[in-house]
Amino acid sequence: MAHEPAAARSDPLLRCNSLVKWFGDRVAVDDVSFGLARGEIYGLLGPNGAGKTTTIKMVCGLLQPDSGSIMLDGRSTKEDLAARSLVGYVPQDVALYPDLTASENLSFLGRLYRLSGGLLEERIKEALELTDLTERRHDRVDSYSGGMKRRLNIAAGLLHHPKLLVLDEPTVGVDPQSRHAILERVRSFGIGGVSVLYTTHYMEEAERVCDRVGIIDHGRLIAEGTRRELVAHLGERDRIDLAATGDLQRVAAECRAIQGVVEAAVADDSVHLIADDGRHVLPAVLEAANRTGASVNSVEVKEADLEAVFLHLTGTALRE
Amino acid sequence: MPASFLIAGKDLRQRLRDRSAVVIGLVAPLVIAALMSFAFKGADTFHYTLGLVDADNGPVASGLKSILHDSSLSQLITVRELGSREAAASAVRANRVQAALVIPRGFSESVTGQRPLPLSTLTSINNQPAAGITTAIASSFVAQLNANRLSIATALDAGATTAQLADLQAVVAGLHIPEQLVQRPVGSQPLKVISYYGPAMAIFFLFFTISYTARSFFVDRSTGMIERMGAAPIRPVEILLGKVLSAFVFGLASLGVIALVTTLAFGANWGDPLAAGVVCLAMVIAVVCLTALVIGLARTQRQADGIAAAVVFGLALLGGNFVFLSAVPDVMKRIALFTPNGWALRAFTDLSTTGGGLRTVVTPVLAILAFSLIVAILAALLARRAVKP
Repeated sequence: MAHEPAAARSDPLLRCNSLVKWFGDRVAVDDVSFGLARGEIYGLLGPNGAGKTTTIKMVCGLLQPDSGSIMLDGRSTKEDLAARSLVGYVPQDVALYPDLTASENLSFLGRLYRLSGGLLEERIKEALELTDLTERRHDRVDSYSGGMKRRLNIAAGLLHHPKLLVLDEPTVGVDPQSRHAILERVRSFGIGGVSVLYTTHYMEEAERVCDRVGIIDHGRLIAEGTRRELVAHLGERDRIDLAATGDLQRVAAECRAIQGVVEAAVADDSVHLIADDGRHVLPAVLEAANRTGASVNSVEVKEADLEAVFLHLTGTALRE
Repeated sequence: MPASFLIAGKDLRQRLRDRSAVVIGLVAPLVIAALMSFAFKGADTFHYTLGLVDADNGPVASGLKSILHDSSLSQLITVRELGSREAAASAVRANRVQAALVIPRGFSESVTGQRPLPLSTLTSINNQPAAGITTAIASSFVAQLNANRLSIATALDAGATTAQLADLQAVVAGLHIPEQLVQRPVGSQPLKVISYYGPAMAIFFLFFTISYTARSFFVDRSTGMIERMGAAPIRPVEILLGKVLSAFVFGLASLGVIALVTTLAFGANWGDPLAAGVVCLAMVIAVVCLTALVIGLARTQRQADGIAAAVVFGLALLGGNFVFLSAVPDVMKRIALFTPNGWALRAFTDLSTTGGGLRTVVTPVLAILAFSLIVAILAALLARRAVKP
């Protein structure tokens, strides 16, 4: 379960106010505001293309908002170049030089943050220990496994002891073991006092590591709060996952007509439903599936979670 | 340390580990310059053996032989006396001599008569330079003889007596056809092939720095390294500066090493070291600006490769890196003046042939820097777009 932030939200480390970003005639981020307390892990949860990466690029100073402001520890990242030292950015793709060793990569990136001499060596050692890569420090990165590269990618963002660590979907394409290790590390950063801004489209990750979650879709932040606060939007409603083969869009449409079904959407070869009383409407759902000729493989009734919240708020499944 | 220096240092480290970069930057230009030098070696020091058949043994034949043995021709020809026309023809066919000159029996005596005997040259289609030179020597000697005959005939017509003929012959023997205007290179020393192709190949392969650096930039961008660097507290333009700085250092080192090796190992003459160094510096600046322009123009690695290839081969062809600029048509010479390498090669040629110093390269260097300035302005206008994540 998520821990409580170290400081009150009245003293935020990061404050984003009414961020707007256009790419041509398409709005990528539309009036997004959120704050991040010191030591807090904040998750931006949304499907691909929702505006998560654009938002964090603005936070890191890689993109300038068309309107709105970003204050980091009371400093503007737009006007104060040095304020970027407060941020440790870990991009979604592994951004390291494959023909350099781990030490050489970290040394180069550390120097960009004005680290040098003994302090740089100390930080490199610390980052490698934190990511369990000390023994491979003199090996070229192209000899690393995918999970090791991911860990080194994170280590590179920690070198300069940032107050805010920004992780852009750090577990994409990672095996379950490495994923578990990365999520554990992220939890430990929060406990250690580093604020973490974490983007993901995996609901389980957001539930597991984030103190608070902002749900973003089509560039708009449509809800935010702790898991408990977000799920409370749904009241006593349940989530039904129907794994089936056939015309799933038609199944979803049939289900929407059932009394008690609040939302229905298709994703990942399943029909995801929000219903007032899951167990009560389940026979009608199965009958609807049968009417369409779909073959039901499995059905599951669960308590509402962030995925259900997303479905409820947007009318679409998170991974659609 | 400025971020651009850090980025340049890292790039150079990667580059030195990349064997292909070392091959293109150092090994290839040396090998090609050496091969070209070897291939054109004969053009530097042409020398041949001339067969001479003296069937006359008269005073005029002696005069011709003394000319052929003169020290002024010793660097060009070696004279080998042969017994007969047939022996000479055989020697030419067997390439024991590359051309032959036959003085016929009675030649000296015929000179003073009404029907002088002709000199014969025996030449081979396989050695046109030797044929041309032999014919030129023979023609020149015959022209002098005809002038002498004309002088004597004029004197006799004017009333000189046959008793004075010996004195007249002695006088005209000391006369020569007046000097003629001949076209010669401006330089006072001949241009050795390696002295042209050494710098030409060094500059040609220096151009490959453009594609290497541009490719490195786009690889960094596609792997997210530009973005990662952009998140650090550095200005975006420092990233581009770092990239082009590494191109500058590598280019300068490459030119310096090639100049040193071609001078010491192949006897190339790059001219005054300070002046040659200034030309190299200007040329590397031009390459750095071109690199920045290619990065600014391209949007992808593939585009960068294409633009860089067009720039490299376009400039090399137009600037004269593959052929002697002195041997191309005037229009090509004028086009070469729009390229930095054309000016650089002109500067190196002048330095090598005139033995001049810094003054000799002022105009070429200013021309190269003007080219660089224009390119730099264009690159600066495009730079912001290039480093955008």
